[in-house]
Amino acid sequence: MSNGTNETPVVHMENIVKHFGTITALDGVDFTVEKQQVMALLGDNGAGKSTLIKILMGVHTPDRGQIYFEGQPVRINSPRYARAMGIEACYQDLALVNLMSITRNFFLGRELARKIGPINWLSMRKMNDLTRAALADVGIKIRSPAEKVGTLSGGERQSIAIGRAMHFGAKLLILDEPTSALSVAETRKVLTYTLNAKERGLSVIFISHNVRHVYQVADAYTIIRHGRKVGTYAKGELTEDDIADIIAGVREC
Amino acid sequence: MQSLTATLKRLRYGLAASPEVVALIIFLVVFVFFSVAADNFLTPVALSNILTFASIQGIIVVGMAMLMIAGEFDLSVGSNLAVASFVFALTMNAGVAPFPAMLFALLISTLLGAVNGLIVISSGIPSFIATLGTMLAYRGIARAIGGGTFAKCTGPKPLLFNILNGAVDSLNQLFEPVSNFRVSILWFFLIAVVMTMVLMRTRFGNWVFAAGGNMGAALAQGVPVKRVKLMVFALTGLLTGLASVMQFAHRTSVDPLRGEGWELIVVAASVIGGVQLTGGVGTILGASIGILLLQTLEQGLVLMGVPVQVFRAVAGLILMLSVIGNTYLSRQG
Repeated sequence: MSNGTNETPVVHMENIVKHFGTITALDGVDFTVEKQQVMALLGDNGAGKSTLIKILMGVHTPDRGQIYFEGQPVRINSPRYARAMGIEACYQDLALVNLMSITRNFFLGRELARKIGPINWLSMRKMNDLTRAALADVGIKIRSPAEKVGTLSGGERQSIAIGRAMHFGAKLLILDEPTSALSVAETRKVLTYTLNAKERGLSVIFISHNVRHVYQVADAYTIIRHGRKVGTYAKGELTEDDIADIIAGVREC
Repeated sequence: MQSLTATLKRLRYGLAASPEVVALIIFLVVFVFFSVAADNFLTPVALSNILTFASIQGIIVVGMAMLMIAGEFDLSVGSNLAVASFVFALTMNAGVAPFPAMLFALLISTLLGAVNGLIVISSGIPSFIATLGTMLAYRGIARAIGGGTFAKCTGPKPLLFNILNGAVDSLNQLFEPVSNFRVSILWFFLIAVVMTMVLMRTRFGNWVFAAGGNMGAALAQGVPVKRVKLMVFALTGLLTGLASVMQFAHRTSVDPLRGEGWELIVVAASVIGGVQLTGGVGTILGASIGILLLQTLEQGLVLMGVPVQVFRAVAGLILMLSVIGNTYLSRQG
């Protein structure tokens, strides 16, 4: 484990400010994710979690503040740029095409193909084999890579999005409320995959409004409220109930 | 008992994996019905008529099915068909050789298809509204360039017409009375097969399904959704142009109302064939069975001496039946 602070953090966001019209969504937020760390980003609905993440993904540009990726100052101006650096986000609805097979989803946008003139002829067998192997590699068993994603359970779908991000060399994985619609058993599976990802050297940002979803897997918790950071706490520093109270604003810290 | 319901459920899931199965079942029912009920249905003349008429519309259906899988559709194909025929006729009448005249007509129809795509992707308005507008506009263009009247190809039929859509006489003469097999059947078959391979086995086809299935997910994975949609709109225009020059090669004349109402027949055929209006689902095979079904229906009713107006009522009924069937099959649980 290398959760030490002596290494360069994967991502460091400094004094991020973002206004939407007259509304201040983020008011000088600092946010750091260390290497191989599972960082929980917690806050109530409308606290500014998703604005912060969308800035990191290049969907929004901050009005003020600086982002460092692996120590280098960067300007992330598009999702494509964020992906090229190794930041992958798994959104709940936007991750997969339910009507397409696991393989076609796994390789969507990065299809393996033989070029025949202007035609890119899909190497389906090779992609099927690679999909099965890659998912098995991260601990995900599938019945058939040709199966439609829509027939899978919510947890299985999440796991495939996570497996895809890991396979294609993501350094930082962003999971946006990955367990909020899942059963207890399914949630446990997704948490296992999250830990697998960490063991393989990735850093993970786990966004949630409910600390109970992340308490077991997170190494640290960052809590934001009303566009300001309340604080970052290491595992064990606070109890689950303490954190829940801080998120809800019942208790100041 | 429980194992029986389980078996039925599995059968339903199995059938749901092939969107064309409902259309195929209805087609077989309709075909068997006319074989028994209509005199002269199982004859080379009637069957060749079905195939010949279905093939021209079928070429447009191939484009429409791909467009609907990509999450869009095009109501302007009927008007585009008329424009392309006028361009083809008038260019030849102006003294241009048939082959370059055909290329020019195909270029125009492709451009008209691309204009639909540009309007939809740049303004973000639904393709229903955008192509309803261009349906009227292109019809106006057809009337304007045709001077509101017929255009026809004078003089002897050039060789190109036979290549595009000649009668297959060596086959037709075998039958008595003479049947009506035409080259367009072959072109339709070829186009349907090639486009099926494009859709199922190429990267572009994968992007077409993704664009219609979940645009947000496709964009998130770096699929150039707008470019894909634009290309399928242009392709639909091109295929409409091909259908147009083939039909002209057969009839050698075009009137300002040519193709009116075809857009709905073509959309109906695709939907009957299991292509979903919401995008992401469908096959060219299914849509092709859909247009074959509609033509069989029309020819069969004509042979039974039923007034032609009834055709639309029955076609509407079959449209609803097939959608209900497909909804039942694809229902979860």
